[in-house]
Amino acid sequence: MTGDEAQRRFVALLQERFGVDEIPAANYPLVDARHHFELARVLKEEFGYRIYAFVVASHYPAAPDAKNENAEVDAEHYEVATGVRCIGAPAHLASWRVRVELDQALPTLFPLFAGADWQEREQYDLVGVRFDGHPDLRRLMMPEDWEGYPLRKDYAIGTACPPWR
Amino acid sequence: MPRRVTEVDPHLDIETYDPSADLMVLNLGPQHPSTHGVFRVKLYLDGEIIVKAVPYAGYLHRGVEKLCEELTFVQIIPVVDKNDYVSPMMNEQAIVMACEAMLEIEVPRRALYLRTIFAELQRVASHLLWLGTFGMDLGGALGGGASLFMYCFRERETILGLFEEVTGCRFHYNTHAVGGNRHDITPKFCRDTKTTIEVIAKRIEEYIQIFSSNRIYRDRTQGVGVLDGDLAVSLGITGPLARASGVDHDLRRDAPYHIYGELDVNVFTESAGDCLARTLVRLQEMCESIRIVREIIDSVPEGPILGIKPGKSPTHIKIESSQRYTCIESPRGELGTYLIGGGSNRGASAYRLKIRSPSLHAVSCIPYVFPGHTVSDAIAILGTLDPIMGEVDR
Amino acid sequence: MTPLVHGAVWGVVIATVLVTVAVFSIWFERKFAARMQTRYGPTLVGPAGLLQIVADALKMMQKEDILPQKADPMLFRLAPPCAVIFTLAAAAVIPFDEDVLAADLDIGVLFLLAVGGLVVFPVWVAGWASNNKYALLGAMRAVAQGIAYEIPLVLSAMVPVVLAQSMRLSDIISVQAETHWFVFWPLGPGLIAFVIFFICSLAEANRIPFDIPEAESELVAGVTTEYAGMRFGLLQMAEYLHTLIASAVAAAIFFGGWDGPFASGLHWMVLKTLVLFFMIFWIRWSLVRFRSDQLMALCWKYLLPLSLVLVMLSALFVYVRAMDA
Repeated sequence: MTGDEAQRRFVALLQERFGVDEIPAANYPLVDARHHFELARVLKEEFGYRIYAFVVASHYPAAPDAKNENAEVDAEHYEVATGVRCIGAPAHLASWRVRVELDQALPTLFPLFAGADWQEREQYDLVGVRFDGHPDLRRLMMPEDWEGYPLRKDYAIGTACPPWR
Repeated sequence: MPRRVTEVDPHLDIETYDPSADLMVLNLGPQHPSTHGVFRVKLYLDGEIIVKAVPYAGYLHRGVEKLCEELTFVQIIPVVDKNDYVSPMMNEQAIVMACEAMLEIEVPRRALYLRTIFAELQRVASHLLWLGTFGMDLGGALGGGASLFMYCFRERETILGLFEEVTGCRFHYNTHAVGGNRHDITPKFCRDTKTTIEVIAKRIEEYIQIFSSNRIYRDRTQGVGVLDGDLAVSLGITGPLARASGVDHDLRRDAPYHIYGELDVNVFTESAGDCLARTLVRLQEMCESIRIVREIIDSVPEGPILGIKPGKSPTHIKIESSQRYTCIESPRGELGTYLIGGGSNRGASAYRLKIRSPSLHAVSCIPYVFPGHTVSDAIAILGTLDPIMGEVDR
Repeated sequence: MTPLVHGAVWGVVIATVLVTVAVFSIWFERKFAARMQTRYGPTLVGPAGLLQIVADALKMMQKEDILPQKADPMLFRLAPPCAVIFTLAAAAVIPFDEDVLAADLDIGVLFLLAVGGLVVFPVWVAGWASNNKYALLGAMRAVAQGIAYEIPLVLSAMVPVVLAQSMRLSDIISVQAETHWFVFWPLGPGLIAFVIFFICSLAEANRIPFDIPEAESELVAGVTTEYAGMRFGLLQMAEYLHTLIASAVAAAIFFGGWDGPFASGLHWMVLKTLVLFFMIFWIRWSLVRFRSDQLMALCWKYLLPLSLVLVMLSALFVYVRAMDA
């Protein structure tokens, strides 16, 4: 199976079983948060995508559409992208994005992938996304008692902090 | 005796573990001669056997990802150099490939050959450093380990000398640019490379012999720190660590980039998953890298090394809002870059840049692998995991 | 001269010479290790770096005397000098020449092994008194290793005693001078006994591959973690002294001491001691260390039974020879 065939199979899976209509060209497909865990499970158990590649959370502050003033203001939200890979050729990477509202928590992938433990902790630490069912959601990079999530857009890079002891 | 990893619970509740066992809490690090950088592991010891190990990362967190949102794509290349500070070529290539994939720039053939040569030489240098420090972990900085360390560094210095010839820097080169390379090689470089790799190939044979024939080395590494292949991939561990546990996965062969698609990259796996297996895999990888360099050093095509017009300002690379993940096979595993374009400076910076570091995944296997071993074994295992703290913490 | 005066004078002389040799052996070790590692070693201070050790000793002496807050003050201060004293005391019975020895005891070997075995105490006390978990781990390992390797050491030292029918060291050397060196004794118990004695001395002196108690990569500095300045210097010197004295003892009881194929004398003893000392350095800078349980297994499972068998073999040998005569 080549990389292209694997990608087509992945797209077909998304369209048939997870109701994804739009496959953007320059972005990864957007999947509903309710299907997040199930998609990962199907990929791991039925298609053999067992390597846990990455999880990336980004913060999108509320921003009016500059071009269209009458359009709805997109509320502040997070976007979490996850990627899993299959072993051996063609080492295809299946990745998708999930939109998470500020007060919403995304189900953790820890029962499927042990690597989700630390990776999700890091995204919680730096961006602030919460993961439901995570065994040990606490800060990883920053000190335990740090306040604020550094990689959010409203966290200035020069934010003053007391010297860490 | 070491226990099988499937019995271990990484989130073991130490309060209820065994009230009668008088557990001693020992902090391995952050200041310690052999934690490979600032890294802390809290060990709960029952005598000398580890019952639970809790790693704490983040001592070297420098906010590189946040910095990449402020600096432009041209400016972040030397910054990202310092992540995996042992193999800087890999960091640069990961970033630069991400930008080129998003902008769909075609990199000239000559630059691709240069990148492959640099990557393979860097792989040898990184594994040599690992081997030297592993010897020190096993044998002490005042002892046989130090001898191995000196020999490995003698070889590594020759490779760094080659890089200095090309880029002017022994370390942290800033030689890659979006669209190609900045420094070109000369025929003298090719000649020097050929002599250097022959010398190194001979010496690596000696190192392989040390590991396979010296009884004490075998005793310290055989059966120690067994990492199950399924657990490894579930944790996201790739590279020599996973290959030593039987996972036949190498991005150079399976998802080729640069010119790996035209080469036959041999991938070495071992099934034992212990420290000896990881050692042998890395030693064989060194031989393979030397073979690749020997194959292509004489057939570098002529041509330009930069595929786009060199820019005059730091903001000449602009990426619109889109997302992409690209990755390469670094000496530690899959080093990836998740790039969301459309940041500040009208797209000249990233909106979000995440560096998927293989060492962070490697270090997260500590709660699974350490329990059941003694403190000496813990140091040996930590040595073979080859974590680079700059990459773990960024 | 009364034995007391004789012992005092020669004791001071031998102790001074041994300490000086141990101190300059550090220079030799650094140069030798450096050459093995394709580098130069100390070259700047003094001719060929000879005064480097003097500079290091002066540096150590002027360092701040740190006493950890919760450390046991008396034991912490007592351990390093005691290590040196116990090690040097064992050198009292070693004959460097026919009448160059401090005390010609007729229980020479017994005294040697008994006092030499006391060296485990200061190492353990140093680790315990430091109130530091790393030091404690190192101390526990030192005790286990020291006690375990004591037994094959004693048994393999018994082989020359049995073969010479005397515990007095000068007698052992005289017998070797008349017949041949015990290491070359026919049927081989001598050579194997020497190898076992050598390995056990390495273990007693905490040298690589048995330096688990001060394993630098695992336990920061093991037993000596909290020690700074001259106290650390004394502990290190005790280790070098112990190694030197072990080489001297091995040279005396296995290699014939001051006896030589021609022109017997002090120089032969010095030569043999230094050759064995050199071999200990060679081993140190080539090998990595054992893990503590592997170290124990080596002792209890292999060295102990073997040395028992050797003692019995040498007793049998002497009996048979006596029957023939």
